Amino acid sequence: MRKKRRLTGAVLFGACLLVWLPLILMTAGAWMPEDELYWRYLSPLGLGRDTVRAALIPSYPSWEAMKELLIGSPGFFVMFWNSCIQVIPMAAGQFLVAAPAAWAFAKFRFPAKKQLFGIYVLLMVLPFQVTQVSNYLVLDRLGILNTHLSLILPGIWSTLPVFIMTRSFEAIPDPLVEAAYLDGAGQWYTFVHVGLPLGYPGIATALMFSFVDSWNALEQPLTYLKDKNLWPIALYLPDIARDKASVAFAAALVTCLLPALVYVNCQEELEQGVAASGVKQ
Amino acid sequence: MKSYKKHMAKFLITALAAGLLAGCGKSSGTAGGELSGTEGTTAQTDIPALPPEESGGDSQRTGAAGRYRETEVELPQEVQSQSLIRFLRGEGGILELYTAQRDSEGKNTDTFRYQYLEGQWQPDSGWKGNEVMKEKGLDLMGVFYGKDGNYYLGGTDEDYIYHLLRVDQDGSGTEILEEAFKPAEGQDYGLIPPKIEVLENGDILVYDYWEVHLYTASGTRALTLAKDFSGTTSDCRGFVEGDEFVTVNQGNIVRYSLKTGAVTETIDYSEIDDKRESTWLFSDSGGGIYAVNETGLSHIAEGGTLWEVLIDGSLNHLSMRSIHLCEFLNGDQEDFYGAFTGEAGGSIYLFRYEYDPDMAAVPPTALTVYSLEDNSTVRQAISQFQSQYPDVRVEMRTAVESGGTVTEEMIQGLNTELLSGKGADVLILDGLPVDAYIEKGVLVDLSGLVKEMEDSGDMLNNLLEGFRTEDGAVYQVPAKVAFPLAEGKPEAVEVLGDLDSMTKYEGEKPLMSIDNYENMLRKISRICYEELFGQEMKVKDRSVLIHYLESVKALGDASGCQTFFTETEMEINNVSNHVVGDGMARDVVDFDRGTCDVGTEKLTGYSRLAFPAKIREINPGSVMVPVGNLYLPSAMAGVNQSSPNQDMAREFIRCLLSYEVQKEDLYDGFPVNKKALQFLTQSDSRDNFSESVGYKDGYHLSANWPSLEVREEAAAMLETLTVPAVVDETVMGMIVEGSMDYFDGKKTVEQAADDILRKLSIYLAE
Amino acid sequence: MSQRQNKLARFRRAAAPWLFLAPSLAGVGVFMGFPFLDAFRRSFQDAMGTRFVGVNNYQAVLGNLAFRLAAMNTARFLAVCLPLLLTLSLALAIFLGWRAEAFEKMVSHKEGDRGNIRLMRTTMVLPMAIPGASMVLIWKIFLCPEGVLNQMLSGVTGRVWDTDWAFSRHAFPVLVVTYLWKHTGYDMILWLAGLSGIPGEMYEAARIDGAGTFQELRYITFPQLKGTFGLVGILSLVNSFRVYREAYLLAGAYPDSSIYLIPHLFAHWFLNLDVQKMTAAAVMMTAVFLMPVLAAKLIPGRSGR
Repeated sequence: MRKKRRLTGAVLFGACLLVWLPLILMTAGAWMPEDELYWRYLSPLGLGRDTVRAALIPSYPSWEAMKELLIGSPGFFVMFWNSCIQVIPMAAGQFLVAAPAAWAFAKFRFPAKKQLFGIYVLLMVLPFQVTQVSNYLVLDRLGILNTHLSLILPGIWSTLPVFIMTRSFEAIPDPLVEAAYLDGAGQWYTFVHVGLPLGYPGIATALMFSFVDSWNALEQPLTYLKDKNLWPIALYLPDIARDKASVAFAAALVTCLLPALVYVNCQEELEQGVAASGVKQ
Repeated sequence: MKSYKKHMAKFLITALAAGLLAGCGKSSGTAGGELSGTEGTTAQTDIPALPPEESGGDSQRTGAAGRYRETEVELPQEVQSQSLIRFLRGEGGILELYTAQRDSEGKNTDTFRYQYLEGQWQPDSGWKGNEVMKEKGLDLMGVFYGKDGNYYLGGTDEDYIYHLLRVDQDGSGTEILEEAFKPAEGQDYGLIPPKIEVLENGDILVYDYWEVHLYTASGTRALTLAKDFSGTTSDCRGFVEGDEFVTVNQGNIVRYSLKTGAVTETIDYSEIDDKRESTWLFSDSGGGIYAVNETGLSHIAEGGTLWEVLIDGSLNHLSMRSIHLCEFLNGDQEDFYGAFTGEAGGSIYLFRYEYDPDMAAVPPTALTVYSLEDNSTVRQAISQFQSQYPDVRVEMRTAVESGGTVTEEMIQGLNTELLSGKGADVLILDGLPVDAYIEKGVLVDLSGLVKEMEDSGDMLNNLLEGFRTEDGAVYQVPAKVAFPLAEGKPEAVEVLGDLDSMTKYEGEKPLMSIDNYENMLRKISRICYEELFGQEMKVKDRSVLIHYLESVKALGDASGCQTFFTETEMEINNVSNHVVGDGMARDVVDFDRGTCDVGTEKLTGYSRLAFPAKIREINPGSVMVPVGNLYLPSAMAGVNQSSPNQDMAREFIRCLLSYEVQKEDLYDGFPVNKKALQFLTQSDSRDNFSESVGYKDGYHLSANWPSLEVREEAAAMLETLTVPAVVDETVMGMIVEGSMDYFDGKKTVEQAADDILRKLSIYLAE
Repeated sequence: MSQRQNKLARFRRAAAPWLFLAPSLAGVGVFMGFPFLDAFRRSFQDAMGTRFVGVNNYQAVLGNLAFRLAAMNTARFLAVCLPLLLTLSLALAIFLGWRAEAFEKMVSHKEGDRGNIRLMRTTMVLPMAIPGASMVLIWKIFLCPEGVLNQMLSGVTGRVWDTDWAFSRHAFPVLVVTYLWKHTGYDMILWLAGLSGIPGEMYEAARIDGAGTFQELRYITFPQLKGTFGLVGILSLVNSFRVYREAYLLAGAYPDSSIYLIPHLFAHWFLNLDVQKMTAAAVMMTAVFLMPVLAAKLIPGRSGR
């Protein structure tokens, strides 16, 4: 047993190291002054060819890059706000639209349910490129191309949240629901007061996925947003590569923070949700 | 479990907040200055073509009819060879024009005054100003009509010190304010004011670079007021009205009181600022202000807060880039006059703007022109076209601001428009997948138009014919053309164009100059275009590709080329890692230096001919010829099949290739219009042009504007060119990427070729 | 209740699911269904949508060498990555957690949890949260010719390594590694959560019956994990196509032929207005995806099976 525990510990440690190493590199880079960045990372930054001298700690720590990024680049903040404007309403919208739908799939019987759900799953699995062109044209027709709505609206109706929430709702024991009906509660009331609270882990999971997914998404904003003023923060990095390499690491780091925080915070709900939906097959 | 309520609440609140923000989010979009897509020019970027009723984001005159019409005012013949000194309204409200005939050093030989009487410009032979200035040994620089009713003349003496004279009743001049222009202690030069204004009471306002100084008639300095920088006469932003001085300071228009020197009002004018050149200000004689720039003429009333745009600059010469506004003033019939000068101070133009109540306020027809990058010739054509067709408004959309990089996404955006049956009427095809567009029927066959233009004899037909497809159609026409010029020893120049001959060349020096390998690849891809690319992209054949790479390596080795140069290497060899699109980086200079036997130059105009011409002069025996019959076209225009304005689009292209547009040298290539070429060859001789280069090892070369004979020679070359050397940039990129290891000796040529072909075959198979 | 009230109640019950579904259906129809139908239509027309060309596009696409390469690479990537990822993450989860004392602590959420455990959980989850563009920079530090990987290899083997890994013939394994790095930790946590849902009594009972480790795995663990498998599988599949962006940022528009994927091809087709090929290929891809979806029985049965 002791051996196993030690082995377990070692494997765990190794795995964590694999994760932390790159992150520490990134953080270190964010606190390096321009000169040091050029000395260390000329090649990866695409500015020339020189040996990479990676470091976990900056030799000359400096706030330069972070200051430049957060204070000197108004563009960065604009992009941050764009990300917020695009992602938060979308998550809220998803909740309003997907939760009732998931409840219907999970707790009701109706004709063509299987087929409909199957379509939902199919739509979820299809990669972006399949409907890329047609999506574009539809959004163009609707006149929302090159606006925040072009990301928010299609995002709200993504079918992945429905899938996750359905499984979570399925895990709610039927007797509970029946009991509510017997007590004279209407369907909507039951949904709101029984379904939502009990299905909360699944809902949180779904929304959290969506949040992080959209926050980091590159395809949709690149395709639908022409004006740089509307770009979300995920597009900042590929864009600055050429002229502002000194800020690259700082930007990379800051871009990570929010999704990382969200994930970390919602972990509990995630695991509960998975545990619940996993058990009740 | 209760935490979920907290979380949900947080989510929803932020969602609400974000939603609200999104609503007012449009204004926040402009916060990121560096990200803003617009340059603030009149040709708005990326605004879709709106139907006329909805357009007019700036406040046009309300009401569907009424607009200021621009007409050119004819100037006397002799004025065309003179330089403009001043255009103003003088005594009696008469319009006056002051010009000078200048010698090759820019000094006046004679100055003249013209008056606009009874609708005609008449020389004022009674004007004594010329003699007065000559008497005092002064070069006339400025003429001013003061509010005190006197004329003032200003000019510099041979020591370049400025003197201001007041013209007296008898026509002679009295010097005033001597002290103001004397150099300060220890300085060689004094102030040369771009402008002087004299007030009613005889006080004199002298414009300095960063300030203005108010002097009393007796010569004491009373006040100094700050303003934004202005250095030349035409740059001057400011005027005096009553006892107030209006100018631009720290980015805003300000009113100063000339009594106290304090700012009495600050006016923001950013909404009408074109952000390119200075905004010209003048008074409306009623406390209000007129402001003129590329965006047009705007007016704000005294104490008002809103700017009214009276004249839309995008519809007339106010937005034309090849000319420069020198003076703008009100006429006496509720009209306006604008005086402009052309390139380098030559050519004077005068336009009058009258209100025509019957003209449509906003031109009813809109024509859109799309281009990935900004193009001066196209903009020139737009200005020209709009003055020819006042009923048409042309909007130019560029995907990227100048200096930006073109991305795939921009092209994808355009493609989506095309697929939806939309997109601009005229497409400037540089950088776009033209072959795909032709294949899919996106472009209109312009053979009819081309035939007309060729038949007229005005065109260099050979250049247009280069774009005729196999089935006889023409889908694109170039507006400007550059071509590669080779210069060096006759034997060396001889071998260019054939890879084998080039690699077998044995001379005292290496055939080609030292450069980085990417430039070499590009250069040779153009020089040996027919052997390597041609219509069928021959380089996709393995043996051709290998031959290409091996030849480049051989030539590169002989010249000392490397894939990458360190700082020290760059200094020693006068070479850089900088890559030029066509690979030709002025290496005719290297021929003159003696490091190679032949150099190439990409001729984009006579300005680039200066060095080669001079080098041939000082290297007897050397020859200067075009490389094969290749040319490098740009500003290629085509018409969108789904455009509802195809006829108008065709007219635009005709305008693009017309004499008026083509004769302006915008440094982006030679004209394809023969008449325009003749004009530039014959008449464009810039005597003050000089170009020079110097290296640390003492090498020095300097050249003047090429002579008439040389220009004629180059013009004749243009007529022999028949093959547009347009190399697919994606293919070029693959070749460059895949061959670097070979040039560094890390791979064999077969390996490199295979690497390249693997990607190339995918690209071709798609 | 009166007859009328009964009928009303029954009507409301029958209509209920549709009312719940309505907002979702409406939007899905507009933003997903409609584009899909449009794509379907275009697959039978020429590029500009002016002529009907029957199945020409399908023939052209199937015969297109670039498509064949991209499809094969994409299929290869999925066939390699998905099983690899699922197995790796599951193995890690089982190894780390199954039945060990530590396991209990690892998946419990008691207040007194050891900081290490929480740190570990957080750590495993992080790679998923990091945007692709951020990671690419770090990958470049390792993978460029002058990068850390080459330095380590040179140190170990003694000869000079200067391969540009992302652009080399080994680009495929490189991409697989980046994909695994991103998803393994996360999937492992999901598996662990699933494992924690298995009632301990089942194992007790099995042990009393004399079952060994493998039997426990086979008869208890795996069957109980079916649901989690579905979830993890689907999520990993959905995310696998996103790897295109990272491949593009690392290796450009025309990468090594081993990682030339369908999205690369689509991007280039779009650049050349070859929309008819894109839509035909897209429809075919959909058909291909339909099969595992049907097979996996992810569709709920009676009352959420």
